[in-house]
Parts: sequence; C-alpha cells; structure tokens
Amino acid sequence: MVVRLSRARLSIASAEAWLANRPGGAVVVFAGRVRADRRGRTTVLALDYEVDRVPALAQLRAIERDASRRFGATGVVLWHRLGRVPTGEVAVVVGATCAHRAEAFGAARYLIDQLKLRVPIWKEERGRPARRPRRPRAPPAGR
Amino acid sequence: MPRPVRVYLFATARQLVGRATLTWTVPEQGLSARKLVEELGAAHPRLVATLRVSRFLRNDRYLTDLTETILPGDGFAVHPPYGGG
Repeated sequence: MVVRLSRARLSIASAEAWLANRPGGAVVVFAGRVRADRRGRTTVLALDYEVDRVPALAQLRAIERDASRRFGATGVVLWHRLGRVPTGEVAVVVGATCAHRAEAFGAARYLIDQLKLRVPIWKEERGRPARRPRRPRAPPAGR
Repeated sequence: MPRPVRVYLFATARQLVGRATLTWTVPEQGLSARKLVEELGAAHPRLVATLRVSRFLRNDRYLTDLTETILPGDGFAVHPPYGGG
C-alpha cells in the first residue's frame, strides 16, 4: 500500500519488502520513532497523533505523485501512525525505490519533509513528571 | 431555515475552544471565509492567534482565497500548523 494512516503498528520490514518488489536499483526507507524526550520536568511517554483524514489522504497521494515525477521513483511508501504511540515505536515510515541511490535518498528526504509540511496530522505529547533525585537525609544532630 | 455550517477544529484550535465541532449559523446566501474566520475569532478571542497561522478547508478542499463563499450546510475546517512525523 502506497499511502496509509493506521492505528496499528507500522512494520519497517513490510515497507522494505513492498519497495523491494518495485523495479529499480536503490531502495531507501526512513522510519521515525517516538523519542523519550525531556520537557523541563516532564518525560515524554507517548505521542497522540490526530488527523483530518480526507485531506490527509489526498495530500499523501499528491506527495507520492510529486515524488514519482521529481525523482523517477517507481515505488513509494508514505505511512503514518495515528492515536497513541508509545516511545520507541515507529510513528512514520517513508521510502522510495529509484534507479540510483542519489534519487532514492532525495526522494525519501522529500517524502518526509513534504509529509511534515503538507499533511494535516498533529501530535500532542503525553508524559509524566520526572522524578526528583532524593536528597540525602541529614545525619541526626549531636553525633 | 438554512442549515448551519459545521466548523471542525483540530489540535490547538480544538484545545483553545474546548470542542472539536461548532455549528455556525450563516446567511442563506452564505458569507466569505474571511468573514467566518472573523466571526470565529470574535466569539472565541483565545483562538485569534491560532486563526492567523491556520489553513482553512471548505468541504475537505483547501481554500487558497478567503473570499470564497461558505454556504449553509458546508463543512469548514480549521487546520493549525501541522506536526506529523
């Protein structure tokens, strides 16, 4: 499947297998995972992704067409996860099959950049306050 | 009686208003997207800054021109800046 918006886990291997079946000498796959970033005293545990589905699918298909035209890609995947995605899990997978590596790397870069710019998907961080380090107890007075 | 416009709010726009959907009464002959955006901002002042940087869609199609007329029964979506990936 070329474009996909899914609440299920995304498989990098499935994307690679799909692209490997397309004609061309170079396959590039990029996967973006949720990082356990710190925001002040909060540690990110997950990202909640929301979408405006109809225009999002239209935009993904337009990006796929643009990438095929600009880079001569014979295969493209543009997959994005929706709903709650815990840290460490894959949130986005893009990839391209092209004749040569320069086009394939260029196409993959183009796909992720355009996805971020043009596709109506938003994320919200879910986290928990980081634990403060315990202060050592003062020794009892008089000793 | 004309059907209202359904206004769909996403991400920060939804959070600022506290609702994902608003029903908006418009004149039978419609009104410009710009006027609708102004009305939304007047009714929800906290939304004004977000509206300034948002994209708008009428019936799932991006508006390139805010003079386009929004008619009763239309869907009007407010898209704050995107953040996928």
